[in-house]
Amino acid sequence: MFLTKEENNLSKEFFEKGYIIRPAQNINALSEIRNNLIKKITNYLKIKKNVDPNNFLNNIHKEIPVNKLNDLRVHLINEVNSISKFKNLYFQSAKKFIEILVGNELAMQKKISLSIQIPKDDSSLLPVHSDTWSGLSPFEVVVWIPLVDCYKTKAMFILPPKHSSELNNQFKKFSRKSSEDIFRKISKKIKWIDIKFGEVLIFNQHLPHGNRVNKEKETRWSMNCRFKSIFSPYADKKIGEFYEPITLRIASKMGMNYRFPKIK
Amino acid sequence: MKKLRGYIFSRPFLGERVPQHIQNLVLREYCSRKKLQFLLSFVEYRFENSSLMLEKVLNELNRIDGIIFYSLFQMPQDDKERKVIYKKILGKKKEIHFAVEEIKMKDAESVEFVENIFLIKKTLPNCLSKF
Repeated sequence: MFLTKEENNLSKEFFEKGYIIRPAQNINALSEIRNNLIKKITNYLKIKKNVDPNNFLNNIHKEIPVNKLNDLRVHLINEVNSISKFKNLYFQSAKKFIEILVGNELAMQKKISLSIQIPKDDSSLLPVHSDTWSGLSPFEVVVWIPLVDCYKTKAMFILPPKHSSELNNQFKKFSRKSSEDIFRKISKKIKWIDIKFGEVLIFNQHLPHGNRVNKEKETRWSMNCRFKSIFSPYADKKIGEFYEPITLRIASKMGMNYRFPKIK
Repeated sequence: MKKLRGYIFSRPFLGERVPQHIQNLVLREYCSRKKLQFLLSFVEYRFENSSLMLEKVLNELNRIDGIIFYSLFQMPQDDKERKVIYKKILGKKKEIHFAVEEIKMKDAESVEFVENIFLIKKTLPNCLSKF
C-alpha cells in the first residue's frame, strides 16, 4: 500500500474510534454555509436586524415554537439545497479527509440533511440506528457538520466499534423488542461526541448512533451528508435518486464509453 | 404554466419496477411542486427495448413544453438513441424532467450530468455489488 503516514494514521483512528474530528479543511466554506443558512432562517422568521450567528442559532427556541420546528427544518433543507454551490461548499469543508477515507471518485448524497434539536424537545429524535440497517450502503461515510458547539446531550452519540461488535453478537436477543431496548442495553457504553463549530466529524455509520432529548440550554444545529465511492455497492438508496457523482474522473468516463471495434 | 407530457413504464427498467399508479403519483406531485401542468402519461409498451410511446411524445413536441419521465433510467439503453432524443427535445428548446431524480435537463452541462449517471448505472453490474 502506498498510503502516506498521515493517511494511515487517519484511517487507523477512523477504524479504531469509529470517527474522526478535524478542523474544517476550508473554514471559509463552513462560514459561508452557516451564513447562508442564517439568511434563510431570518427570512423565514421575518427577522430584519443583524444577528450574532452563535447566539442566534443557540437560542432559536426563543424565536419559534416547537410545533413549527419541522416546517422550518423542511423549508431550510429545500432552500439551502437549492443554492447551486451549497453542496460544493459542504464537500470543500472536508474534502481532504473524505478522499483519504473513501477515495477520490465520489458520489455524494443529493440533499444535505439538517438537524435542529431544541432543548427538551422529544419530537425530533433519531432513535438508535445504524444507517446500514435502513438501506444505506456500508461503503459510505457520514460527514456531520455542527453549526454551533455541541456537547453532552446537545450532541449525537455513537457506540464505539468494540461495543458495537458485542451488540451485533447479541442481536438475536432483541427479536420482538424495540430500538429503545437496544438503547437501554448500550446506554452506558455510548460516546457523546464533543465538537465545536469550525470542526467536521466523519463517522462510521455502521456503528449504532442517534440522539436523545437535548437537556442542555442551547439548541443544536447540525448538517449531515453521505459520501461513497461511485463504483462501490449501493444498497436501497441508489445513484441518481439519492446520490450524484461529484468527482467522476476522465479515465472512468472514457472507460464507460469504450467500445471494441466491430469486425462484422 | 408549462405543459409537460408524462411518460411512465409498464416494464422494469435497469432492475427497478414501480407500479404505474405510483409513477403517476410521483409525476403529479413533482409537477404540482414545480408549478407545471401535468398532461396524462403515455405508458411505454411492455416489450423489451420499446420506445414507441416515447417516439409518439417526441412527435407532439410542437404542442407541449416538454416531457417528464418518472426516471432517467427509462430512457433508451442505447447510448446513440439517447443522444438523438436529447437533441430532438433540447434542439426545439423544450424541457426534459426526471421526477425521481429531480433533474431538469436544459443544456449541454445537464446532458453530461445525466449521461454520467446513466453510464454509471449501466457499469455498476460489472462492479462489486454484494456485501
